[in-house]
Amino acid sequence: MIEKGRISALQMATLLYPTIIATAILLVPAITGEYAKKDMWLSPIWASLAGLFVIFLAVKLEQRFPEQTIIQYSGTITGKLIGKLIGVLIVLYYFHATGIILLEYGNFVIGSFLPRTPLLIVIGSMVLVCGLAVRGGIEVMARTAQVLVPFVILFFTLIMILLTPELNLDNLFPVMEYGLKPSLKGAIIPASWFLQLFIIAFILPVLKKGEKIGKAGILTVITVMITLVITNLVTLLLFGVITTSFTYPVMEAARFISVADFLQHLESVVMAIWVAGTFIKVSLFYYVVVIGTAQVLHISDFRPIVLPIGLFLTVLSFWTSSSLQELEQILITSFPFYDFFVLIIIPMLLLVIAKVRKKGATKNRRNKGKVKK
Amino acid sequence: MRNYFKPGRLLLLICTFPFLLSGCWDRIEINDMAIIVATGIDLTDEGEVELSVQIVNPQGLGSSGSGGGQLGGSGSVGTMVSLEKATGKTIYDARSKLQEKVPRSLFLGHNRVILIGERLAKQGIKQHVDFFARHPFPRIKAYVFVTKDKPIELLQVNPDLERSTAEAARELADQKFGLDVTLKDLLQMLADDTRGAALPYLLVDKEIPGKVGLKVNGSAIFSDGKLIGELDDERNRGLFWLINKVDQASVTIEPEAAAGYISFSIINAKTKMKPTINNGKWKMTIDIQADDDIVENNTYLDVMSPAILKKLEGQLEETIRHQIYDTLEVIQKDFKTDVLGFDEAFHSHYPKEWATVKDNWTDTFSEVDVEVNTKISISRPGRSTTPQGVPKDKVIE
Repeated sequence: MIEKGRISALQMATLLYPTIIATAILLVPAITGEYAKKDMWLSPIWASLAGLFVIFLAVKLEQRFPEQTIIQYSGTITGKLIGKLIGVLIVLYYFHATGIILLEYGNFVIGSFLPRTPLLIVIGSMVLVCGLAVRGGIEVMARTAQVLVPFVILFFTLIMILLTPELNLDNLFPVMEYGLKPSLKGAIIPASWFLQLFIIAFILPVLKKGEKIGKAGILTVITVMITLVITNLVTLLLFGVITTSFTYPVMEAARFISVADFLQHLESVVMAIWVAGTFIKVSLFYYVVVIGTAQVLHISDFRPIVLPIGLFLTVLSFWTSSSLQELEQILITSFPFYDFFVLIIIPMLLLVIAKVRKKGATKNRRNKGKVKK
Repeated sequence: MRNYFKPGRLLLLICTFPFLLSGCWDRIEINDMAIIVATGIDLTDEGEVELSVQIVNPQGLGSSGSGGGQLGGSGSVGTMVSLEKATGKTIYDARSKLQEKVPRSLFLGHNRVILIGERLAKQGIKQHVDFFARHPFPRIKAYVFVTKDKPIELLQVNPDLERSTAEAARELADQKFGLDVTLKDLLQMLADDTRGAALPYLLVDKEIPGKVGLKVNGSAIFSDGKLIGELDDERNRGLFWLINKVDQASVTIEPEAAAGYISFSIINAKTKMKPTINNGKWKMTIDIQADDDIVENNTYLDVMSPAILKKLEGQLEETIRHQIYDTLEVIQKDFKTDVLGFDEAFHSHYPKEWATVKDNWTDTFSEVDVEVNTKISISRPGRSTTPQGVPKDKVIE
C-alpha cells in the first residue's frame, strides 16, 4: 500500500459525512421535490438503503483482500487484463465525478456570491488547497475533517433552528397522497449520492487494525440520512409548493432567516458549510483519483502526481458541462445509471467472481469470529 | 531539515499568494454602492414596466446620526434617501436604464419592500415576480404591498418616525394591523393554481393638512395573479379572523342594555378550520376562540356584573360572526377566489374528493357552506371596575 498513514473508523465517518452532505443539501431538495412533491422528506430514507448496500459490498470485498483497494484486487479476481480495464474505468469515473463536484461548487459560488469572479479562479483555488491536503495523505485529511465537520454540523443545526418560527406544518399534508410511488421515484437521485459511499473501498485499506467498520459505516449512512430528511423537511415546510422552483432551496431558506431584525443575511453561513464540506469532499475524491492512478500505473509514491492531476481536474471540470442547467440534467438523467454501474454492478460482479473462483482470504482478519463467512 | 527558503520554493510560495485574494474579486466598496431599500413597479401608458427605487445615502445616515438632535427635522430626511425612476421591458431592463443615471452600483441586497402599482396589478403580476427570486441579490423576505397611487408617490413620502418609506412600510407590516405578506408568501400563493392572493394596500395618508404619511388599509384580492377587487378595512378584519392572523386587534360594540360603546382589546385569538364533506355537501366549520380585555367603557354598564358580562360576550360573538359572514359573502360570491386556504384544508383532509374538484375549485369554493362558531371570553375588566366619570347610583347593574 502506498499510503503510510492510518486512520480510525470514526475518522473515516467524519470524512464520509461531508463527502455526501456537501453537495447533497444544496441540490437534492429541489431535485427530489420535483418527483416526490410533498413526500420529498421520505425519499432520503429509501435512498439510504443504497448507501448501506454499497458499504456492505465494500466491506465484504475488503474482508477477502485486506489492505488492498479495488484497483488492486480487481486484477487478482478477474485476471490481469480485465482487472486493469476495471481499474482504469473506476479511476476515470472518479476523475469525472471530481470534475462534476468542482463544477457544482464553482457554479454555486459564482451564481450566488461572486458573480464576476472567473470560474477558473474559484475552482483553481479549491483544487490547490485540496491538492495540498491530498499531498499530506489520508491522516492529514482526516484530521482536517475532524476540525471542520463539527462546525458544519453546528452551522447546519443553527440554520435549521432559526428557521423553525417560519415553518408551516400545513405544507406537509396530505402525506403519501399518491402512495409510496412518488417518494420512491424521488429517492433515485439522492440514491446516487448515497452510492458515493462506495468510496470507503479506498479508505478501508488504510484503517487502523481492529476498528469497527460496520458501526462506522452505518453511523455515516444514518447521520447523512437524518441530515437530508431534516433538510428536505425544513425546505418543504418553509416553501411548500415552490421548493422545486429554487436552484438552491437551502440557500433561499438561509436568506429568509431574520431574527429580531439583526440576525439576518445568514447565507454566508451556508457558504461556510458548503465551502468546508466541499473542501473535504473534493479532497477525498481527489485522493481516490490520485491513489487509483498511482496503483493503475504502479507508481511507488503518489505525492509527485498530486499537483499534475490537480491541473487536469481543473481543466476536466470545465469539460463536464457548459452550464448549470446541463449539469443538473446530467445528474438527473445519466448519472444515476453511471453510478449504479460503477459503484454497484462492478463491485457485485467482483464479489461474485471472487466467491466462485475462491480468490482472496475467506477469514476476516479484523473482527475475527464476529462475522461468519 | 528541509530548507523552505530556497529561491525556487520562495518564488512558488509567492506565486500562490494571489489565490488568497480571489475572494476580493467581486468586492464593491460601500461608497461605490447605491443601496436600494424599496422598489416600486408600475405600468406606463406604453405598457412598459416603470421601476422606481428608493436609495439610501450612507453619508446622509451617518451625518444625521452624528449631528445629533436634528433627526426628524424635515430637512435631514431628504439627504438620507433619494429616488430614481426608469422604464423598461422588464424589471432588470429598467434597472439597467436606471444605472445609467446613478453614479454608484445599484445594490438590491437590502431591498425590503416591493410596492406594486394598481395599474400593473390589474394587468397581472405573475410575470414580474420572477426577477426578485432569480437575480442573486434581492431577498424573498421583502414585504409586498399594493398601492393605489403610483408607487413613486409613496416613495416620495417622508415618514416622521422612520428613515424612509421602506422602513416605515416594513414596520407597518410588522405591526400586523394590516396583512404582512412577504414575497415568499406571494410566490407560494401564485404558484398554487387553486389559490387567490391577498396583499395589503399601502396608502398615502393625508389626514393632517399639509403633511403626508403612510398607512396600511384594506387588502387587494388577486385571482390568477390579477387584481380583481378590494376588501375594505372592516372586511379586512373579517379576513384576519378567517386566516388566523388576528394578533393585535380591537373590537367595539354598542351594548343593547345601555347607550354608548365598549371597546375590547383582543389578547389571544385562535382560528381553526375543520373541513367536512357529507353526501357531496362541502362544509367548512370555523371555530374561533378569543380572550378579550375591556379597555374602554363609555356606557353606564357595570362590567363587573356576571350577568352583564354574559350578555356582552354574546354580543361580541355576534359582532365578530357578523363581520366574518359579511367578509365571506364578498370573498365567496363576489370575488369567487380562495384566499382563505380552504383548498389546502380540503386537500389534506379529503385528498380523493379534492382530486375531483381540483380543476374547478372556484365553482366549488363559492358554494362551500361555512359555519362560524365563536367563543369569546371577557377575561378582565381592565384597571377600573365600575365606569369612570359616572356617579355610583347611575351605574346599571
